[in-house]
Amino acid sequence: MEIIEKIKTNKSIDNQTEIQKICLDKLQSSPLPNPRSEQWRLSNKSKLSNFLDYSVNENNSKFDIPYPKNSESNIRLIIGENCQIKLIEKNYSIRQLSEDELQKYIKEQISCFNQNENWSDLLNLSLSCKNNILGLKINGSKIPPIEIFSYASSNSLNAKTLIIFLEKNCNVELLQVNLGEDTSSLSQSTFFYLEENSSLNHGVVSYGVNKSNLLNSLNVIQQKNSKYNLGSLHFKFNYARFEIRIKQSEGNAKTNIKGMQITKKDEQISTYTKIDFDGPNGFLDQINKSLADDKSHAIFEGSIIVPKIAQKTDASQLSRNLLLSNRAQIDTKPQLEIIADDVKCKHGATISQLNEEELFYMRTRGITLTEASKLQLSSYFQEIISFIPVSKDRWDLLDKLLNEN
Amino acid sequence: MQSKMKESDPILEVDNLSASTDNLPILKGVSLTVYPGEIHAIMGRNGCGKSTFSKIIAGHPSYTITNGEIKFLGENINSLEPEERSQSGIFLGFQYPIEIPGVSNLEFLRVSTNARRKFLNKEELDTFDFEELVKEKLEIVKMDQAFLSRSVNQGFSGGEKKRNEILQMALLEPKIAILDETDSGLDIDALRIVASGIKRISNAQTGIILITHYQRLLDEIKPNYVHVMSDGQIIKTGESDLALELEKKGYEWTDNFIKET
Repeated sequence: MEIIEKIKTNKSIDNQTEIQKICLDKLQSSPLPNPRSEQWRLSNKSKLSNFLDYSVNENNSKFDIPYPKNSESNIRLIIGENCQIKLIEKNYSIRQLSEDELQKYIKEQISCFNQNENWSDLLNLSLSCKNNILGLKINGSKIPPIEIFSYASSNSLNAKTLIIFLEKNCNVELLQVNLGEDTSSLSQSTFFYLEENSSLNHGVVSYGVNKSNLLNSLNVIQQKNSKYNLGSLHFKFNYARFEIRIKQSEGNAKTNIKGMQITKKDEQISTYTKIDFDGPNGFLDQINKSLADDKSHAIFEGSIIVPKIAQKTDASQLSRNLLLSNRAQIDTKPQLEIIADDVKCKHGATISQLNEEELFYMRTRGITLTEASKLQLSSYFQEIISFIPVSKDRWDLLDKLLNEN
Repeated sequence: MQSKMKESDPILEVDNLSASTDNLPILKGVSLTVYPGEIHAIMGRNGCGKSTFSKIIAGHPSYTITNGEIKFLGENINSLEPEERSQSGIFLGFQYPIEIPGVSNLEFLRVSTNARRKFLNKEELDTFDFEELVKEKLEIVKMDQAFLSRSVNQGFSGGEKKRNEILQMALLEPKIAILDETDSGLDIDALRIVASGIKRISNAQTGIILITHYQRLLDEIKPNYVHVMSDGQIIKTGESDLALELEKKGYEWTDNFIKET
């Protein structure tokens, strides 16, 4: 684990920024997460080690965007390539966060970090150089859809960070695409701050190729009356970990999450979510789907925290899982921690296989077993994919990728 | 009765068919021959093997044929996959049509219809041409176009599901249709719509097997032959008045028949 050795000796990065120094300091004493901790016990150690085996690459090689721009009005950004942005239009403005704003916000976040829970973010922030941090402040209305790409190039570890503040009454549609080239590791950390009455429709599509690895961490703070929708899809990674932490800081906010992970061969993809309700009248509707084939391993661990202050919380967390092979493995653990006494919370998990009676029904209508399985799987995907803000062009690409998968 | 001279070859010949699931024998030597233009009814108590018989003809993978053969248009189809049987013209109308959430009814019907058309060397239909065809067929079962945009059978009432089955039969134009308790769960009006649909679709070149408990469907569609099944065997075959007799005397009468034989 080249990176860890360098972190230990504090030789990982030249010209360290203040943030990098803080994070490296935190990591030096215990550079790896505790493998026995709840958050890491199921994580494949050798795959995590493989993630850390590459050298950090701060320079970004030429990146080919996988599909053409849908509309001229769309805003398209690639972290590390064009992080200079200032758009001031009649109805809205998008401007870059100043270095002071960035530092202040990240320092605040780091002060609350827990070594195991936020290890992915600590690693990211200790490796992410200035050029690979994109910080934006958005306000106004009628904002065109935004697409933000992160990618890791072959035989290297790339760390990219995205920080977005949505000001009051702002309504944004944002698609984040994380791509890993062959034998690469991508560390992506994202921070959103949603002010009062703002709304974010957020899509995350992450896919790699042979032996790509991903640590994708998403941190969202919602002020009251804000609405956050997340549709996510992770597939084709040798090792991927998607961590979602959402805090409704004053309650009275809405969160909808629909996520899916697809594993094949000997891949391991996991999703960890932690939703904190720090005020009353919070709302959450979450569904996570896993589909595991061959000898792969899919993991979902979710927790909903409802302290005494969070009365009248209405939260639901469901984990639906489909096993396509006898050798595949799925671990799922949705859980609730409730102190408040006037809440409506539910959680549940199912693990099943393709429905044989549905398959037979389709076959008696002339549809081949392969086609019937595809139809059944696409209906399984449908609920999640239709929640990701994607246009027809991108949908075709997704369709193609999913069929290849 | 079935040995009388026929002018054409049979569509379906089931000869001494025995089948089991999980080593449990279900069918114990069933023989049945259906000629073009014939309507056969199979009656019998719950659990006598009627539905299993229909599923085995359609190729359900959970059942193993242990003896006998199924010939369709003169060819042994024992080893054909369910989709191959369907494409070649065997249709099974389900007693409990399956819901498939997330799969649009329209797309499902189009893919099925094209699979059959491909087998018949007919041109496959694109979405627009298919919509024209399906609109025409919807009229047969008095279904609204709104059913097409919903997921297959999801949220359909019992009657709507059965009408959707008959719509599929109309689109697939099978050589033989086995309708498993198509009349169950239908009110009188829905039963008439379904029965009239079946009559409109069937013709002198097709065969129909109706699996039912009740005379009321047979009042609407008069069968040429009625077979009574018990414990995985056909124990009595007669003409349409056998169903009336059965309705009057109940299955106990057939129990006596088993004892006699």
